[in-house]
Amino acid sequence: MTQRRALVGFAVVFALLLAVPHLADRLDFPGFYLTFMFSAFFWIAQSSSWNMLTGYSGYFSFGQGAWFGVGVYTTAVLAGKQGWAFLAALPLAGIAALIVGLLLGLVVFRLRSLSGEIFALTTLAVAFVLGSVARIFPAIDGGRGAFMTSVPLPEFLGEFRPAMYRMTLVIMMATVLTAYLVYESRLGWGLFSIRDDEQVAQGLGVPVFRYKMAALAGNAFFSGLMGGVWALQIGFVTVEDVFNIRVPLFVILMSVLGGTSHWMGPVVGSVIIFTILDRFNSAGFEDFNQLFIGGLLIVLVLAVREGVYVRLRNRPLATLLVFAGTMLVLLVVNDSSIVWKFLWATLATLAMALVPDRLWTSLFGRNRRTDEADAEPEKVTA
Amino acid sequence: MTKNRSYLRVLAIWLILALIAAACGDGDDATDDTGGDAGTDQATTTAEADDPGDDEPTDGEPIVVGGSLALTGFLAPTAAIHKVAGDMFVEQLNANGGLLGREVVWDVRDDESVPDQAAAIYERLITEENVDLVLGPYGTGTITAAMAVAEREGYVFPHHTASLTYAYTYECHFPTWPVGLDTNISNPNIVYDAIEASGNPPQTIGFVLNEFPGTQLIGYGPPNSDAGGAISEARKRGWEVVLEVSFPTATSDWGPIAAQVAEADPDFLYVGALGVDGPNLLTALDAIGYVPRGHFYQWPAPGPLLGAPNANGAMSVTVFESHPPYTDDPEAAAIVEEFAEKAAAADIPYTKFDVQAAVSWTAWQVLVAGVEGAGSLDQRAICDWLKDNPVDTIIGTIDFNPDEQNYYGDLSVIKQIQDGEWVVVYPPDKALPGAEPEL
Amino acid sequence: MDANLLIQATVSGALIGGLYALMSLGLSLSWGALDIINLVHFMFILFGAYFTYQLTVSTGMDPLATALLVVPAGFLIGGALQIFFEAAKLDEFKSLIITFGLFIILQSLARTIWSADFRTLDQSLNPYASASVIVGDVAFQTPLVIAFAAAGLIAIGTRALMAHTYFGKAVRAVVHDADTARAFGVDSQRVGVLLAALASAYSALAGVLIATFQSLSPTMGVGWFGIVFPVVILGGLGNAVGNFLAGVVIGVAAGIATVVWGPLSATLVTFSIMVLALLFRPQGLFTRRATI
Repeated sequence: MTQRRALVGFAVVFALLLAVPHLADRLDFPGFYLTFMFSAFFWIAQSSSWNMLTGYSGYFSFGQGAWFGVGVYTTAVLAGKQGWAFLAALPLAGIAALIVGLLLGLVVFRLRSLSGEIFALTTLAVAFVLGSVARIFPAIDGGRGAFMTSVPLPEFLGEFRPAMYRMTLVIMMATVLTAYLVYESRLGWGLFSIRDDEQVAQGLGVPVFRYKMAALAGNAFFSGLMGGVWALQIGFVTVEDVFNIRVPLFVILMSVLGGTSHWMGPVVGSVIIFTILDRFNSAGFEDFNQLFIGGLLIVLVLAVREGVYVRLRNRPLATLLVFAGTMLVLLVVNDSSIVWKFLWATLATLAMALVPDRLWTSLFGRNRRTDEADAEPEKVTA
Repeated sequence: MTKNRSYLRVLAIWLILALIAAACGDGDDATDDTGGDAGTDQATTTAEADDPGDDEPTDGEPIVVGGSLALTGFLAPTAAIHKVAGDMFVEQLNANGGLLGREVVWDVRDDESVPDQAAAIYERLITEENVDLVLGPYGTGTITAAMAVAEREGYVFPHHTASLTYAYTYECHFPTWPVGLDTNISNPNIVYDAIEASGNPPQTIGFVLNEFPGTQLIGYGPPNSDAGGAISEARKRGWEVVLEVSFPTATSDWGPIAAQVAEADPDFLYVGALGVDGPNLLTALDAIGYVPRGHFYQWPAPGPLLGAPNANGAMSVTVFESHPPYTDDPEAAAIVEEFAEKAAAADIPYTKFDVQAAVSWTAWQVLVAGVEGAGSLDQRAICDWLKDNPVDTIIGTIDFNPDEQNYYGDLSVIKQIQDGEWVVVYPPDKALPGAEPEL
Repeated sequence: MDANLLIQATVSGALIGGLYALMSLGLSLSWGALDIINLVHFMFILFGAYFTYQLTVSTGMDPLATALLVVPAGFLIGGALQIFFEAAKLDEFKSLIITFGLFIILQSLARTIWSADFRTLDQSLNPYASASVIVGDVAFQTPLVIAFAAAGLIAIGTRALMAHTYFGKAVRAVVHDADTARAFGVDSQRVGVLLAALASAYSALAGVLIATFQSLSPTMGVGWFGIVFPVVILGGLGNAVGNFLAGVVIGVAAGIATVVWGPLSATLVTFSIMVLALLFRPQGLFTRRATI
């Protein structure tokens, strides 16, 4: 029942978002808004896919850079250098990342003494190893880079921006939907029990190896697929720009900020961080934006330990009121661009989420979190 | 289990609100923006499309030139020079009456040395903020990404530091890194001519190349082409290539590379160097007691190389140095002097106006000449004017040649560290009077 | 292949490996003993280097003598930071994010103070950059010899400190089981602060040595990730002597790979060693058991 309703919800959201490029033409939407949205989709898909492995199973992964990089280089080599049709190369981006992920999983998940740290560091090393492999072999890169600037896109996708928007939208929706379905499924339950205590999970009859491999596969596949599209946005692909720590680090920040214990956490975290980063860059605060971003991370992690999403879910009415209220007020009083309004509304909501639970309860009475039905202690990080 | 529904509902409401707000928001924007009709044109962008740039000029409203620079990230050390040069150019431009009688504002953002950031910034500048003109960022990767955006939007794109000449086919890109389309042939040959002019040509030559696409292009020529580059050109002169090593951009241990150089012991060492590769290699060479007899560095950070051990005699390419004949022109001399003050004020250790600052300055001069020549901010008109007319710049007169992807031959000259200073030594008509290449 | 070339590559690899070890020790101790993946150690190195640069340029001090000021400063700041971490009660992943936040802030601060452009100690102020000791046909670069010696002595000293002093026993007790240690009267907070201060002092010292022979720029910190993490892993978290040996192994392997297969293979070789070590000796190459 619920699942069917949820799927209808996903379909509605998808349809609405799919309509945006058409709406954009109609409404003189500045082209950048599409870029803003597809960049946000990129981060949503990256962090949601990361969360499928790390948030659900508890195995902390730095491997996002590796999966992403394999995806980028797959389309860069096939479409950029070999002249394949882009849409023919794209699925292989996901599959190549999936294969690399599974190979790694086959080795590390078979280890008797695998600890979380070892897993984390192995995944970190994989990105560096893949980077140096790409550097050595001229067929991949060989230090020459690969151009994606003249790769033709199929006509039915439209111009570059709407095409990027549509491709990233489909991948993002597929990723989030998968994250949701896993979360609701027996697989999700199994992964969460692995996160809580792997030995107990095994005792309960959870096929831990297969489940972990499945989570890793989902992570690598969607990340690689999105990487394959992202090669177009990078334009000129080099090892330094692809196999670095930017993607894994941002994905971790976004997910932890949003909350790793729920499928919506990374979505919320990505939207918040991406919006803030984008607007700060737009405002040209280069002297201060790094200071501010660093400070914000510290404050948010200290003040909202369980992730912003959990707070918002526990205060649904306030979330809606603050966000929509700020948005409406700004629409009336201020003629800045919509993305700026969205930023202020996001920041206002964030400020609301920062109010500590105890203070909140004393101000507004009971928190929804205390409701018996919603407690779900096993899925909320302490 | 009502929870799923509730967050989906929240999500859906957020999205719907955002969409409604978007619709309303843009209604507002369209009414107060005279360029409102530009948006529809952008949807069907061609190079001919009207751009927001051709709004009727309103007196008092500044002309906004958008762009990004790597203010942070690994390209930041050199990008800082371009920031100072650009700020100074715009200040002087405004002091002299601006552009088309309007003040000019340079709206420069931080691309963090990351190409996809640069692409997003140029899209934002062009399509959200409707800047009148754009100028390229610093660095090959970011320029390539930004150029793709400028091409889609039909914006004229002057840029100063993109190294992969063969790859830039956009008809309205205007490179001011004056190295010629076939730089992999022309650039090393200028170096080799200078070496031979010393009267002491080498028998053997060794190559140590950064594994960066630009230095690899010079060393080997474009990928999938048998044009060749510095290495094959050296062989053509009958020099024996005794060492051929590529090192990764992030090399931290120079000892083993230095040991290889010492073992091969070439008469001339050609280093495809970026940034501080040169001083790092020289320090490591010195530590093992090896002094190169002749040596060349492609794109070094000039200050640190001057301070490196055994740097005397090191050669590099340039297009402008702060000495005669370049400073014979009083205007150029004044620029050199003011730049030194501005760079010192910005805490930049090496304050001489040289190749990086000069190509930055040139890019601005090209943009200004294009706008003044076209007499408007119409991108098409500026592009056409620049393709048809030569431009006088601080690095000489340049005439963009559409038959060579807007390149115009290789204007590089050779400089060498002599008595602790960089001086141009070759060709003679560009050299500091009395200076000659020494080997 | 000339034998002399191999010997030179091995020597220079081993020496720079000593520097890698010194750069990694702070992070290794912090991670292994305090459960904090403290990325601020990269900034201790960076600021150590910039402070040395600034002190030398401003006062004309000998660059190595600046260690007398820079290292204690690192000690105090590192200790103060640990007090904050203790108060915040961070788990490993949260610590990663918080210290990454600090990392960004400090890197941006360095850029504001010293500009993004390269800073290099002038040869007239810095006699060490190109100094070397030559034995036979093999040259030893002086700053690296100092780094190697310092790293070796510190590794042995730290091991002795852990093995033979009350402080060391307290650290081990806290690492093994913090609650029990507290029950037996160990002031775990004080132990943690002292250890963090010591770890930070090591990183600051690495910075001092780097300033004597390299050009500095604010973005160097990120570039060190690829060196420090393999050393930390290979050495075993919190294992000072293992960390030193790991630095040397990685330096030598990269050096030999550079002359045999070319510089491009160096990263591949070091990270392959790291991956193999993780898979077959996850407790670190040089540890008998997974303890300090």
